[in-house]
Amino acid sequence: MEKIEAKDVNFYYGSFHALKGISMEIPQNKVVAFIGPSGCGKSTFLRLFNRMNDLIPGARLEGEICIDGKNIYAPGIQVDELRKEVGMVFQRPNPFPKSIFDNVAYGLRVNGIKDKSFIAHRVEEALRGAALWEEVKDKLNASAYALSGGQQQRLCIARAMAVSPSVLLMDEPASALDPISTAKVEELICELRNEVTIVIVTHNMQQASRVSDKTAFFYMGEMVEYDDTKVIFTNPHKEATQNYITGRFG
Amino acid sequence: MVKFVESELAQLRHEVDQMWTLVYNQMEQAREAVLNLDRTIARQIIVRERRVDAFELKIDSDVEDFIALYTPVAVDLRFTLSMLKINSDLERIGDYADGIARFVRDCPVDALDQELIEKLEVKEMFAIVLRMLGDLQQALRDEDPVKATSVLSQDDQLDRINKASAGILAGYAAAHTDAIPFCLGFGGVFRKLERTGDHLTNIAEEIVFYIDAKVLKHNDSQQEDPARQA
Amino acid sequence: MSTPAYPKDFSMKKRRSQKVAFIVFRVLSLLIVLILFAILGFIIYKGAGVISWDFLSKAPSDGMTAGGIFPAIVGTLLLMLGSAIVAFPVGIMSGIYMNEYASRGWVVKFIRLMTNNLSGVPSIVFGLFGMALFVKYLGFGDSILAGSLTLGLLSLPLVIRTTEEALKDIPAGIREGSLALGATKLQTIWKVVLPMGMPRIITGLILSLGRVSGETAPILFTCAAYFFPQLPASIFDQCMALPYHLYVISTSGTDIEAQQPIAYGTALVLIVIVLVINLLAGVLRRHFENRLKMK
Repeated sequence: MEKIEAKDVNFYYGSFHALKGISMEIPQNKVVAFIGPSGCGKSTFLRLFNRMNDLIPGARLEGEICIDGKNIYAPGIQVDELRKEVGMVFQRPNPFPKSIFDNVAYGLRVNGIKDKSFIAHRVEEALRGAALWEEVKDKLNASAYALSGGQQQRLCIARAMAVSPSVLLMDEPASALDPISTAKVEELICELRNEVTIVIVTHNMQQASRVSDKTAFFYMGEMVEYDDTKVIFTNPHKEATQNYITGRFG
Repeated sequence: MVKFVESELAQLRHEVDQMWTLVYNQMEQAREAVLNLDRTIARQIIVRERRVDAFELKIDSDVEDFIALYTPVAVDLRFTLSMLKINSDLERIGDYADGIARFVRDCPVDALDQELIEKLEVKEMFAIVLRMLGDLQQALRDEDPVKATSVLSQDDQLDRINKASAGILAGYAAAHTDAIPFCLGFGGVFRKLERTGDHLTNIAEEIVFYIDAKVLKHNDSQQEDPARQA
Repeated sequence: MSTPAYPKDFSMKKRRSQKVAFIVFRVLSLLIVLILFAILGFIIYKGAGVISWDFLSKAPSDGMTAGGIFPAIVGTLLLMLGSAIVAFPVGIMSGIYMNEYASRGWVVKFIRLMTNNLSGVPSIVFGLFGMALFVKYLGFGDSILAGSLTLGLLSLPLVIRTTEEALKDIPAGIREGSLALGATKLQTIWKVVLPMGMPRIITGLILSLGRVSGETAPILFTCAAYFFPQLPASIFDQCMALPYHLYVISTSGTDIEAQQPIAYGTALVLIVIVLVINLLAGVLRRHFENRLKMK
């Protein structure tokens, strides 16, 4: 059984048909990249995996999305429980106006964990996992806003990983960062794949090729091609994919 | 470049090194086969040539993947390109070892005239080729452009021996008319070893190009690169 | 083909008109400050003379031609407190509701329209309404309770609006970040959104207090006493208030001549109270902002 399975997913914003009949399987502990031009639906699709689109009025979903074989849109699914299992990192670093420690501990606390030593332990583990511990261990009580953009984004990754999700969604996690911070985040992605299944949306094709095992190309709400990243970037089967990754688009 | 790219590069380097060892062994075996006229060894070489070819294809596709996935630049790009070229040079050298082995397998005589072998400097020629091959492998491992360039001069020796061999073999054939088919085939060994030398020169240039970004090829008069000097 | 010469004088003209505009803006801004200082100076000049410890701590005496304004100060402070207790919880909660829970439905549009209308209603109408509802219908009589409720109603639109505006400016990414960690909406609001909006909410609240402290009309029919020298004993008592006291002694006093300095003194005290409150707003805002930044 695959980690994530989308079965004939159609998604509408009001009358706009944003995703058209997408089916795909994402294997456990792999990094899967979604690429495609702006407005192709890749972010929308990503945000279906943790039901972030629930917040949008007038949105409607057809089809099924299963994680570990369970339809996450079935009635009776607790959205907050789901989101504990499916973490997310956003385009812009969005730390809370709290201390570094409290940022990472936030997810644990809102999920009802009170054991202080457990929280402290988990915070350190998550910060180490995000390769941030050495940089912040002496200023855990300093504001998260005192960190650089790249550090903030790694803090957000640590924050997401602190609640031990099994899936991590990343919505253009490096698009607001400088090249060195980007490299660090990419390295992190490669290390995190041992712990979680990662789905990453990116505008940067080189990033997709560098970090992912499989790549899906989206265009106009359809998934044009989905294959091993090596195949997509050396010998794509669809002309649209070829045109997009070679920059001959439109 | 980030860590995981480093590890891809190291992997590529390791593969080329393995390919190199494989080809070196083929050439070493070819020497044994020729000097002892050993048909068993020759057959082994011919069988193993298929592995060389397969390895070449694998490295080729790995280089293609690496370029496609990691879009290397600067030193990484030069490294990748030189690996690609060294790979194809090594494959050709493997072909020559295979060709020499085929001559041994189909050799019309059962024993070699040791006096002729002495005169032709066959042993020396093999020794030079193997030394060049070994030195260059070490030069790449150590990233040592000086060692790589030092190999270049030995190619002249190979040319000289090859040139001399034609006359010697012609004289020998004139004296021993029954050995004419053998002489014709044996001449091929010299030409192959000489060509091997050419490919080794190319490899030396690739190594220098990768490390120093200095293009040695077709550039005998002015080897200075204004942008960077070793 | 010759290209026409670039009109040089044009850029000169551009620069000149810019200069003129700047001068006009600057003069007008300075004028406002000047007027403000003039009013302040006038009040201080006229009222500073009567300010003394007795003036601040004693009740009026001799038919309000002598003595102090202590009961009026206490009354104003009590009314401010009362209106805050009425308006803040209701206002903040409606602000949260409108921004967080139902920000796009017609219900919210309707509520927003109504609160906007409410803020345009003249304060004397609030007074009338307060009298009808709290004083008569609910039977609170002329009392601090009725006055506080009326003033609370008056400041409600401002409180709702500032809360809404404060929350609206918090980036959506912050909310999503919290929700994506498995926090519920309430947890998100309570732990992230409200603390972030706090500096601006607090500022809005305190400014609304300042406004309440100066209102006369709403308490005219609901609370304010013409003369009530002792301090109120319960929320069902009447009380004096600074603005009303000022109005009374300037318009219907027994001895206008003797009462004029007292009127200016009262005005000065009122202005100082409002000023202090506004300063407090700034200090508190900075305090909350620092707490957000440095924990």
